[in-house]
Amino acid sequence: MNVNDLGKFGFQAMVNGKGEVKHGYTCDLLSEVMANAAIDTVWFTVQSHVNIVAVAAITGIRAIVLCNGHEFNEDTLKKAKEEGIALFTTSLNAFEAGGRLYNAGLK
Amino acid sequence: MQDVDKLVKRIQFYFKEVKVEEFMTSPVVTVCQDQIVLRAKELMKLRRFSGIPVVDENECLVGIISIEDVIHALEKGKLNSKISDRMTKNVVTLSKDDKITDAVKKFELYGFGRFPVVDKKNHVTGIITKHDLMTILLSKLSILYVHDTRREPFVRTENFRSSPTGVELEKESAEFNFNVDYADVSLAGTGAAKLKKRLLSKGFHPKFVKRVAIATYEAETNVIIHSGSCGKIRAYMEPEIVIVRVDDSGKGIENVKMAMHEGFSTAPDYVREMGFGAGMGLANIKRCSDRMMILSEPGKGVVIEMSFWRHENECE
Repeated sequence: MNVNDLGKFGFQAMVNGKGEVKHGYTCDLLSEVMANAAIDTVWFTVQSHVNIVAVAAITGIRAIVLCNGHEFNEDTLKKAKEEGIALFTTSLNAFEAGGRLYNAGLK
Repeated sequence: MQDVDKLVKRIQFYFKEVKVEEFMTSPVVTVCQDQIVLRAKELMKLRRFSGIPVVDENECLVGIISIEDVIHALEKGKLNSKISDRMTKNVVTLSKDDKITDAVKKFELYGFGRFPVVDKKNHVTGIITKHDLMTILLSKLSILYVHDTRREPFVRTENFRSSPTGVELEKESAEFNFNVDYADVSLAGTGAAKLKKRLLSKGFHPKFVKRVAIATYEAETNVIIHSGSCGKIRAYMEPEIVIVRVDDSGKGIENVKMAMHEGFSTAPDYVREMGFGAGMGLANIKRCSDRMMILSEPGKGVVIEMSFWRHENECE
């Protein structure tokens, strides 16, 4: 699935990304995410600070979906643009948001 | 024993500031030069000494009597002669302020089993045997954590350029240098991300690069959260191996064993709220690297060296 198609699941696109996503991962502990998330992943979290972009870039995460109605700050948006990481927001919680993509075939 | 000597020689430099005073045996049992050899022999038998410093009536060092000297006396039926007639007179000594490297040098140079430690007045204040030397090095080594997926005893691997393993990693030869000199934890990973790009541009496999990047990120984050100082990331690259070294001059790790424990963290609450400080940093590094080594002491900073060999599934 192309990262920019994630908007079709009711997530608001904040920054466009590139490439395909094949997997999903949900967690708020950064080390845990890096240890377990696969390359080409969409990551569901409530962390919004700029470091999540570094974590994504290092891990090979292509998109971050910020759940529970949280909002990204300017630094995060700017950094994501630079790194080419797609950012989305949603009012859904991580379980519901992830569930939508799971049903759509992401593992 | 040759292997031990080699090992001692190699690791001494990491503890080169350790003074003789810190590991000498003290007080020392001595014998008086006017006593007879038999007395020295009895002492050796009872206390299992292999050599005893000999002093004069003013407690000043005049010689040393070793098991060899006693055997020679025995062969000649001279056990009742004065120690001063049978002892070795040219004693090589150490001072309490000498460094561990001086001691190693003397063991090597003279091949003696022990060196008395004397003060300015030539009074014997301690003695150092090879056993003392090994004990101190081993106790210092316990602050050093080694993980090696190849299970090679780290002291014997000479194939790779690595300073803990004896081969110098020259600062100038690092192909990647990055200063971790920001206080803002949200900037963590800047260096790791740069290194990742560099490795990708050099054609390393993405899977391999990911391992290197994650481990570097964790080490970089540790510098920012824990060290209270600046740090440096250096990387050395060869087609089959990448070595990353992250060091800082900060407050050091109190207990490396504890720190290695997954879930153990000393991170403050504000960084935990940001998702850091899960106590997985070092465990993550261990998981990602093929060999890691941590050198740290409270107040003396941390050096983490990570080696990454290219695995079979990480080739083009």
